[in-house]
Amino acid sequence: MRIGGIVLLLLCSSVARSQTDLDLADGKATFRSNCAFCHGLTGGGGRGPALASGRFLHGSTDDDIKTVIRGGVPGTTMPSFEFEKDELDHLVAYVKSLSGSGSGTHASSVSGDAGRGRQIYERSGCAGCHRIGTEGSVYGPELTRIGAGRSPEYIRESIVNPSADIPEEFTGVTVILRDGKRIKGVRINEDTFTVQLRDASQNFRMFQKDDVQQVMHETKSLMPAYGSLSQEDLQNLLAYLESLQGDLNAGAGVKKEKGIR
Amino acid sequence: MRRAALCTLVFALLLPAQSVTYERLVHALGEQQNWLTYWGDYSAVRHRDLKQINAANVKNLRIDWIYQTGQAGSFEAMPLVVDGVMYVTGGNGYAYALDARSGRQLWLYKHAFPPGRKAGGVNRGFAILGDRLFMVTPDANVVALDARTGRLLWQTEMAEYNKGQYTATLAPIAIKDKIIVGISGAEFGIRGFIDAYDAATGKRVWRFWTVPAKGEPGGDTWLGDSWTRGGGSTWMTGTYDAQLNTLYWGVGNPGPDLHGDSRKGDNLYTCSLVALDPDTGKLKWHFQYSPHDTHDWDAAETPVLLDLKWKGRDRKLVVQANRNAFFYVLDRETGEFLLGKPFARQNWATELDAKGRPILMKNQEPSPEGSRVCPGLAGAANWMAPSYNPETKLFYFAVREQCDVYYTNPPVYIQGRPFWGSVSRGVTDEPEWGMLKALDPLTGETRWDFRYFHAPWAGTLSTAGGLIFAGDQDGYLMAFDASSGKNLWRLNTGNPIVNSPMTYMVGGRQYVTMPSGSAVITFALPE
Repeated sequence: MRIGGIVLLLLCSSVARSQTDLDLADGKATFRSNCAFCHGLTGGGGRGPALASGRFLHGSTDDDIKTVIRGGVPGTTMPSFEFEKDELDHLVAYVKSLSGSGSGTHASSVSGDAGRGRQIYERSGCAGCHRIGTEGSVYGPELTRIGAGRSPEYIRESIVNPSADIPEEFTGVTVILRDGKRIKGVRINEDTFTVQLRDASQNFRMFQKDDVQQVMHETKSLMPAYGSLSQEDLQNLLAYLESLQGDLNAGAGVKKEKGIR
Repeated sequence: MRRAALCTLVFALLLPAQSVTYERLVHALGEQQNWLTYWGDYSAVRHRDLKQINAANVKNLRIDWIYQTGQAGSFEAMPLVVDGVMYVTGGNGYAYALDARSGRQLWLYKHAFPPGRKAGGVNRGFAILGDRLFMVTPDANVVALDARTGRLLWQTEMAEYNKGQYTATLAPIAIKDKIIVGISGAEFGIRGFIDAYDAATGKRVWRFWTVPAKGEPGGDTWLGDSWTRGGGSTWMTGTYDAQLNTLYWGVGNPGPDLHGDSRKGDNLYTCSLVALDPDTGKLKWHFQYSPHDTHDWDAAETPVLLDLKWKGRDRKLVVQANRNAFFYVLDRETGEFLLGKPFARQNWATELDAKGRPILMKNQEPSPEGSRVCPGLAGAANWMAPSYNPETKLFYFAVREQCDVYYTNPPVYIQGRPFWGSVSRGVTDEPEWGMLKALDPLTGETRWDFRYFHAPWAGTLSTAGGLIFAGDQDGYLMAFDASSGKNLWRLNTGNPIVNSPMTYMVGGRQYVTMPSGSAVITFALPE
């Protein structure tokens, strides 16, 4: 009887384990086809933040992660997803398995001096195109939470070879007017007959395609490559960018005031 | 003079509303002022011999009236126009009768959904027969309404609701005394069918299963019992040849969509054109465009019936720009394959063999790691209507240029849940675009095309005014010169157009209607 009980217990645990494996395999398949493109096949990050670090900006409980998956992250490229409850459970289990533990702590993977990096940011004129919080230009991508949203490798590549991956919403367009004048900017919108840009002075420039000579889509990034930065400067700049996590004290907070009641 | 006018008025009031007989439907192209079936007639040429609006004056075309349905969601319904009255269905079980000259509402119908049922969803329009209108509902019912009042006459459930796995979206087709409809739900593990209902009573007369059972002809094209959830939706209206007494219907994808291993075999009659006897539902012939499809390439695109001189001989043809990126010409008496030619980028078939069967390329199957295949899941063409102009002898249709990465994973069937076998995803950084294409149906050669910035979900309309009307994904309704492809007029409706334009005449004035957003928008020249 006792032996029988032990056998049954073993059987149960073996069934339970294989069920967990099945669930993880299901979560992995869901991850691969829905998440891997931005977060990397093993969660190492890329266009999206690394998930294997065990660090989750919007909270690390299962419910926190589910909230992000179901609702997306407004203001970022993270879309919302519709999954059945069990699919979502399996996906979250798999995402957590990537970091080996369910709880995460913030440990920057970039060595460098963020304070010096900030000086390099200012000296290099980055704010002429980018903004952090409310400071800087709206011409290029906002960097307020770049450290939370992109892997360090991705940020490094964006600095030294920005054309390697151009976000669609920052596609460069050059419009050649009838008189030959060229107007370059970030494409805000485009359809068969019209195109709308934002130029480097942050002004909207809007055209009917019939009225211009040519509309050219740039294959290269509008951002110049900063390959000439020294290794040390680059590392410090990366450390600074990595430190930008969307903190309120960096000016990222949106002021919300209560209305009259 | 006044007395004569009064007499005419009294006489007109005494006359009963003209009933739309089967004879009228057969000769629908003889009533150029009306639009009597989903396709405008049975053959789906979607060409009208109306030229009041033409290439010379279309630049003056302007909005004449707008009717706001207030219904959110994609507005995919094709209005019918019968002697000055427009009948149009909306989303979410709504339907409307409007004064086709002013857009003023005559009646409104709202389908009653039992509690717990999905009440949302698109609808593509009515069929009319006699004084009755027929539509399907998101919860897979066929309903008959009194065309004079919008009153419900009968309602028949096509299939058990089963947590919403069955749904219906198409416009029915009325043939003789029958109302013929199809079903949607191949993404939810259904077994598809085409049904005929008695127009008078709503009683089902016949059913054609688009997925044969084990032991039936074609049943051996399905692995094991995979046929029981084999898909094969019939979500777009068929076309009909009254002389041949043959109904032509495009059948949708097999299920699970992206996991072929669980349903090895050709999976008849999915992704096929089936030719049926409309009296009995018996199969006359079939042609399968995409055997054992794993890319969701339904054959729901319009099977257009054309009588053309094929290699010196008059032949009855059925042509289709298929979702799989090939343009096909078949003999519609026999189903014989005559021509198949790519009209858009494709990287899945090296060619079609002598019988029209594709010879597959390597690496075109969905994989766990993802396979990039063109066209994408939505296809190089889709359900939006093409048109054929007998003067230019060209076939005009919307082309989608877009590729996808296809993944696969064994699915688990749970009633009411999607049964896809994984997902597809757009290829990031690979821009999509579209085209309005004018193609010679005898050769499959492109005569001209006009490039759209985004891949469209809107079809075309051809008129004797030398015009092709078309819509795009950025909301433009456009008119093109049918011969040259030059864009002559456009107006942005402010919402992606997910439909095809139609035209009619009332009181000596030609109108063009394009549902967009939640509005019926009707255009005319200034009076």
